[in-house]
Parts: sequence; C-alpha cells; structure tokens
Amino acid sequence: MTEAYLRPDTLDEALAVLADGETRIAAGCTDLFAATARKILPGRTLDISRIPTLRGILHDDSGLTIGATTTWTDIATAELPPACRGLQLAAREVGGPQIQNRGTIAGNLCNASPAADGVPPLLTLDAQVVLRTKDGERSLPLDQFLTGPRRTAREAGEIVVAIRVPAEALEGAGHFLKLGARRHLVISIAMVAVRVSLVEGIVQQAAVAVGACGPVAVRLTQLEKALVGQPLDPHLVTDDLVAQALSPIDDVRADAPYRAHASAELVRRALAQVTA
Amino acid sequence: MDVTLSINGTDHRLDLDPRVTVLDALRHHLGLTGTKKGCDHGQCGACTVLLNGRRVNSCLTLAVMHDGDEITTIESLGSPDALNPLQDAFVRNDGFQCGYCTPGQIMSATAMLQEAEDGWPSYISRSLETDPDLTDEEIAERMSGNLCRCSAYPRIRQAIAEVRDARGMAAE
Ligand SMILES: Cc1cc2nc3c(=O)[nH]c(=O)nc-3n(C[C@H](O)[C@H](O)[C@H](O)COP(=O)(O)OP(=O)(O)OC[C@H]3O[C@@H](n4cnc5c(N)ncnc54)[C@H](O)[C@@H]3O)c2cc1C
Ligand code: FES
Ligand code: FES
Repeated sequence: MTEAYLRPDTLDEALAVLADGETRIAAGCTDLFAATARKILPGRTLDISRIPTLRGILHDDSGLTIGATTTWTDIATAELPPACRGLQLAAREVGGPQIQNRGTIAGNLCNASPAADGVPPLLTLDAQVVLRTKDGERSLPLDQFLTGPRRTAREAGEIVVAIRVPAEALEGAGHFLKLGARRHLVISIAMVAVRVSLVEGIVQQAAVAVGACGPVAVRLTQLEKALVGQPLDPHLVTDDLVAQALSPIDDVRADAPYRAHASAELVRRALAQVTA
Repeated sequence: MDVTLSINGTDHRLDLDPRVTVLDALRHHLGLTGTKKGCDHGQCGACTVLLNGRRVNSCLTLAVMHDGDEITTIESLGSPDALNPLQDAFVRNDGFQCGYCTPGQIMSATAMLQEAEDGWPSYISRSLETDPDLTDEEIAERMSGNLCRCSAYPRIRQAIAEVRDARGMAAE
C-alpha cells in the first residue's frame, strides 16, 4: 500500500495497515497538528476516527471500558458513576469546546504530554491501557504505559483500542482541579485529581494524582496512606507530603517551589470539594 | 485524492492533496472565504465551522477525513439583507470591532446554543447531572474557544444573550 492517507472502517483493516510499515495514527488531530509545523505529515496517515467499534463507553459489572476514539465531549456528556466526576470535569477543560468535540482520550494518553489533563483522573481510577496488534492484545496500567515526557510503551504495530477502569476503582467520588494562567487554551501549571470513598465518614479508598509537576503525572501513595482510615480532613495534606512525590520544573509558566505549593493547595481544595 | 465534501447542503467533488485542511479547502479550493484563518493551530476559533452540527476548528482537520460529513459555514446562515438572528444581534449590539473573529464567533455561538438546549454541561455548570442554566457567565465560559483580538467580549456576550432570551432559554 502506498496511499498517503487511509481510512479503514474496521479495526482489523487498521491493524493490517499498521503491520505493513511506518504509519502515523491520526484520531482527532488536535495534538498531531499542533506538533507538526505547517501540517506536513510525512509518510502515511492512518485515520482511525471512523472505526465505530473504537468509540463509546461501556459500563458493566467488570467496570468501565472507554473506547480509544471517545471524544472529551462524549465523556463530559455521558452518564457515569460519581467516581468519574474528575474525568468528566477534566473533559470540560481540555482546550475549548471545539477541541473537546474532536480530541480523543487515547490521543491525549498517546501524546503523553506531562500536562495531559486526562492522566491524573485516569490514574485515580486505576486505569489500564488496552493495546492491540494484528496478532493479539495486552493491557498495561497507565503508569507503566507512560514512560516519560512524550514517551509511551506503545510499540510500532500497536493501536490503543480502549481504556479500562476496574469496578473496584469506580467506588466513591472524584474531583479535578487545574491551575493555569486562564482556564482554556493554555497549558496547565499543575492539575490534581482525587477519588475518595467513605464509609460512615471514614476514608476507605483514597487516590490522589498530580500532573504537570514532573516528567509524568504521579499518584501520591504516601499521602493516600495518611488519608485512609481517618475522617476525611484536607488538613492532613501537608506541603511536604505532596512535594516528596513530585519533581516540579521551572519554566515560563511557573517555578518549582510555586508548583509544589500550588499542588498541595489544589489537593486540599479538591479533597474539600470532593464530597460537597 | 478524490473527496466529496457536503458544504451547506451542496456536494463538492474535489481532488485534494491529503494534507489540505478543511479550512484551506474552503478558502482556497472553494472560494468560501467567510471562514477565517487566525492562528492555524486550534487556538483562536476564527476558523470554527459546524461538522455534522457540532463546532470544530476547521484548521485542525483534514478535508479527506470528511467524505460524507455535513459541513456548515457562515455563508449558509443569512444574507446581507436577511441576517439570521445571531448575525442581526451581533450587528445591533456592536459585537465586533475589526470583525475578523466574527464568523467564528457566530458559528461557535450557533452550536453553543444548541449544546445548551441539549443539556450539555460546561466546567462551571453547578452539576453535571441537571440541565445547566445559560447565564451570562455560562455564555462566556462556553465561548472560551473563540478569542477576539479587539476584545469585543462584553458586546459579543450581550449579542448572544439577546438571542438566548429571544429563544426563551433559561437564565437565572
Ligand atoms: C488549542 C489546543 C488546546 C489544548 N488544550 C489541552 C488541554 O487543556 N489539556 C490537554 O490535556 N490537552 C490539550 N490539548 C491537546 C489535545 O487536544 C488532547 O491531548 C487530545 O485529547 C488529543 O487527542 P486527538 O484525538 O486529537 O489526538 P491526535 O492528535 O489525533 O493524536 C495524538 C497522538 O496520539 C497518537 N494516537 C492517537 N490515537 C491513538 C490510538 N488510538 N492508538 C495509538 N496512537 C494514537 C497519534 O499518532 C499522535 O501521535 C490542546 C490542543 C490544542 C490544539
Ligand atoms: S485558525 Fe483555527 S483555531 Fe485559529
Ligand atoms: S472583532 Fe477584531 S478580533 Fe474580534
């Protein structure tokens, strides 16, 4: 095949194209075009946006399956459990409405920006990334899929087909807060996702993730341990507990100490708002 | 590469390089220059068109990706002597200075009013579960994908609010 642009209707055809040599996958193109000045996409482009089985959200006893080309708008307007509220709030802050109508969840993860808004909420949902080649399928926890800034564990013949959230991670309620110079059309300085489940006021599960404060977004496991088994109290979140887990950078948007302090404050606010 | 684009209800057969965006196809291949190019990077909204009724940035999508899709541009909304309600409201409220962002603002507002009627939440909507009220603040939030270099924002919001009221849409 030598065509520069291919738009198969089925996943099998797409996987066959991908197995056949150097090919760029295109979904919503909102990252692809931003990254390629003048939009010269060299080589072949495989458009996966018209494969019906890759788009949509399925909720059953085993958990939630979000198709790769599900858009941010699809996510924001879906009926999902309260645990997914952080993901739904993030969906409404990606770029602007025009971006949300095209940009996809798998595109966000594959682009692997340290400031990708989808990552912290999906980390709090223990998300798995499902990858397929023409020969088979494998699943990776999101924190193993993301290997560094703009780097993932995806191999050349693989398409991300879905994001899976196990049923156990759908308990409790979630929240998401992002700090940027303005809310839209800017790259975040820091963003925070939390998910907390309570029984009679006592924290059973606590998941806290921070993005844009290191090469990849991370879960704050030490802090989570400090929260479990206690009444939910944002004051348990000290600046130190948060800073330990992060390696914030200095850049034009903010310096490292500011990012560390701001993330701790965002975690406190998110926890204060999560059950409100 | 052959592609058939349905624009404002008319099919156009084009032979395009696969790298041509919808925006460039409209402006350079079809002479529909109402849709504007501001940044060419998805950041300003000047190029907003409707794709199957939903707003998108035409600079961020390739024409060959849209064989069979319905594309709606500013040219279809009204004519100089028969403006559609949003166009009319923008003119009467001075919803612009230079006017460069205006086609994008109006296409975006067209879709935004529909989204609000369909009950889509925005980030600031109090609840993701109940239908949002389209307050002035909600209008501003929902129009955040469209920048105006002349900063005509108060009048843009005012023009859209007038159409919201004329359509009897809720605002507290
Ligand atoms: C103006 C603007 C503002 C933005 N603001 C934000 C923001 O606030 N927050 C944020 O997180 N992002 C933001 N983005 C980035 C972008 O919109 C999102 O990351 C979006 O979710 C990307 O999805 P896409 O479908 O457009 O990806 P594409 O651009 O289509 O693809 C991105 C990358 O992923 C690969 N890819 C896509 N799908 C798959 C798949 N299924 N399997 C394997 N590889 C795949 C592509 O080959 C490419 O390398 C912004 C972009 C723009 C232009
Ligand atoms: S020209 Fe498309 S968003 Fe600016
Ligand atoms: S009126 Fe000039 S850019 Fe908006």
